[in-house]
Amino acid sequence: MSETTYVQLLYLACGGLLLTSVLMLWRRELAVLIRVFAVQGFALAVIAGLAALHHGGIELGAVAVGILVLRVGILPWLLRRAVAAVGPASRETRPLVNVAASLLVAAVLTLLAYAVSRPLVELAPAAATSAIPIGVAVVLIGFFVLITRRRAPSQLVGFLLMDNGITAVGLLTTAGVALTVELGVALDVLLAVLVLQILTGRMRETFGDTDVAELRELHD
Amino acid sequence: MNPTGLALGVALVLGVFAAVLGAATRKHLRARAVGAVTALCGAAGTIAGISAMCGTRYYAAFPALLPLSGVTITVDSTSGLFLAVTGAVAFVSAVYGVGYARADANGRLPQAVFPLFVITMMLVVSAGNVGALLVCWELMALCSLVLVLTEHHRRPEVARAGRWYAVMTHLGFVAILAGLLVFTAAADDDTFPALRVAAHHLSPTTASVVFVATLLGFGSKAGVVPLHVWLPRAHPEAPSHVSALMSAAMVNLGVYGIVRVGFDLLGGGQRWWWLLTLALGGISAVYGILHAAMSTDLKRLLGYSTTENMGLVLIGLGAAGLVADDPVVAGLALAAALLHMVNHAAFKTVLFLAAGSVQRGAGSRDLDALGGLSGPMPFTTAAFGLGALAASALPPGTAFVSEWLLLQALIHARPSAGAAAVVMMPIAVAAVALTAGLAVATFVKAFGVGFLGRPRSAGAAAARESPASMTAALGIAVAVCAVLAVLPTILLSQLGSLASGLLRTGSPAAMDGIVVRLVGVSGALSPLMLAVVSVGAALGLVAVVRLVLTRQARRAARLWDCGAGPLSARMEYTATSFAEPLQRVFDDVVQPETDVDVTHARESAYLVEAIEFRNRVLDRIERWLYTPLLRAVSVWAAAARRLATGSVHRYLGYGFYTLCGLLILLAVTR
Repeated sequence: MSETTYVQLLYLACGGLLLTSVLMLWRRELAVLIRVFAVQGFALAVIAGLAALHHGGIELGAVAVGILVLRVGILPWLLRRAVAAVGPASRETRPLVNVAASLLVAAVLTLLAYAVSRPLVELAPAAATSAIPIGVAVVLIGFFVLITRRRAPSQLVGFLLMDNGITAVGLLTTAGVALTVELGVALDVLLAVLVLQILTGRMRETFGDTDVAELRELHD
Repeated sequence: MNPTGLALGVALVLGVFAAVLGAATRKHLRARAVGAVTALCGAAGTIAGISAMCGTRYYAAFPALLPLSGVTITVDSTSGLFLAVTGAVAFVSAVYGVGYARADANGRLPQAVFPLFVITMMLVVSAGNVGALLVCWELMALCSLVLVLTEHHRRPEVARAGRWYAVMTHLGFVAILAGLLVFTAAADDDTFPALRVAAHHLSPTTASVVFVATLLGFGSKAGVVPLHVWLPRAHPEAPSHVSALMSAAMVNLGVYGIVRVGFDLLGGGQRWWWLLTLALGGISAVYGILHAAMSTDLKRLLGYSTTENMGLVLIGLGAAGLVADDPVVAGLALAAALLHMVNHAAFKTVLFLAAGSVQRGAGSRDLDALGGLSGPMPFTTAAFGLGALAASALPPGTAFVSEWLLLQALIHARPSAGAAAVVMMPIAVAAVALTAGLAVATFVKAFGVGFLGRPRSAGAAAARESPASMTAALGIAVAVCAVLAVLPTILLSQLGSLASGLLRTGSPAAMDGIVVRLVGVSGALSPLMLAVVSVGAALGLVAVVRLVLTRQARRAARLWDCGAGPLSARMEYTATSFAEPLQRVFDDVVQPETDVDVTHARESAYLVEAIEFRNRVLDRIERWLYTPLLRAVSVWAAAARRLATGSVHRYLGYGFYTLCGLLILLAVTR
């Protein structure tokens, strides 16, 4: 694979990453969100696979396969199960910030990400490192999703979005992610999702809804 | 591995084994198994300490044991002294615990934590780098906290005392952590030799920050005023063998910290540091003994007495640092301070264990409800009496020798030490003298009211002697006190060379066979002769009184009771009434709270139906310093509660906005 193709494919995957993040802010149906999330997982796996091809590391290849299995296979499947359990009222009816404003905020966050990661990029300018801001932007957008969505499953998606961003930053820094670290993170995320899934189930049993605002009653 | 290392290793293994036994054995075996193995652990620790004091140093490094710093074990002669004292106190407390803990503290948790507490204390003094020291210090604090809370389900005061202790010990830890990390930042690594090297090129401000922070942290562990508030709470509420261990061994580690950082690592330093230490010591000594004199709770009294004795030790340390350019006097002061620490450990073990025995036998530790214990509890009474003699600085007692040495050092400080020293030394002499006088009154009260006379309550009347293991432990501790009182020269020569090593001077300050002769200043004392003469004089006086003055035939008759009917125990002198004159004299200092409620008869205002009198001596420093502080903290906490509305989104939002704010700040400022 020539250098130019590598760079083109890498930027395409990164673009996919950012685009899917913004899509998650735009769309409100949980089923769609999960599909977008799977696409994003695929883009992430592509970044890892490209890094593996470019640097020729077997470990990175294993990481790519792991990402593919976890983020395109297992996590969307778990989310789908959670949503199926919630029932038809799974649409995020009224997020705390409306869609137009969210999209604007996403733009601002992306700008902020570019502004703050400039010194990081300057440390070792390369094709991969110059895409680091996208990873940071995905983290910030994920955080934003986390704080603006009312329902527990969509908050879960926000959490996973943040994790995707962190993984992307890890992959894009030239050092790469060691296999053990990636394994640890993957296990962490899987456990967090399982725990949150149980929490969502309990919430629904208790309040008949997955609106996180209901949890306010637990104060004190 | 040399003898020191071997003995230390054996002590650690035995301690862990005892902890496992405490957690795993059945209830009826637990106290015996834990007591026996912990006693062996303490004995091995003592041997390690003595071996280190005799010059066999031990060094070992375990780089993989702790992340970042690793663990270095260094047992030098300074560590050896503290190791030996800790081991000896642990030995006695563990033997005592066989009988004591079976009834009162036989849960799995306290029995498993007790040996761990012992070995963490041993590790604190054996640590050779900052990381290991801090970790062991924290483990030690946690172990002691668990032990203090042993009886929390029975008495609510225990939980309250535990809270005070937890907060104070952690604040102290924060101070130590800050001080030592600042110090370490200036050194190549965090081992003690590297810190000694770094101390030479440390700026005076940094060195002062390090010293003051560690003085506060270690001082709070030693119960120094105004950081003493936890001590008279936590020490009484712990089971008695734990109280003994805390009050006789753990507080010493505060002294260890000050000696290690101040003299060893920082190598002396500036004069005002030691002036501060001296002042804190003086205030602690007088304030502590004053409150001990007013206390009616036996163990609380002993707790305040710990503050007093640590104050005396700090006076010695401060004096040694202040006159560091005069090697003779400085060595003498340091040796006196260390000797007093050892003596305090010995007699405080006796006193706390005897107090535990009283609490168990008579069901109370309120002096006003005790009395008449000499008949039913002869061994405990004898032990407490001898312990009280040791604690009051009177000639055949243990504390007399060290306080005499301390006074010699303070008196002989030369004017060349600077104007501040010239002013401070006489004040310190006065403080030590006042403390000694008040200590006599305090222990006469504790012994006379608590043990002699007639029983003041049904519990005291039905008191019974403790089992053999407890009285045996008391016997051992009393024997150690007696040896220290009569033959302090055994220890003093070691302490002299230890002090001269710490101060990096040549000549040991005080030594000789039976007579303590001071080198460099005129002064000599023979504790053995003094003991023989004073005991002989006392016996002679009794004999003369018996033989000469009461030669007439004896006649048994009722005691003259002013015609008011038989005398009852209610008419006895109580602890409160004994302390009343002192309370009057020091009225301005202690500010007692006195309430008198008079209820008049309904028929006439001139006839009184009932009078209720309440007298409480509250800790004034606590009221002035801690009450406003706690109020301010709770106001802040109430304000902070408004941030916590319970909304998950809001909590997440705090994180998001903070992150974005920081990122913006970063983007703008770079």
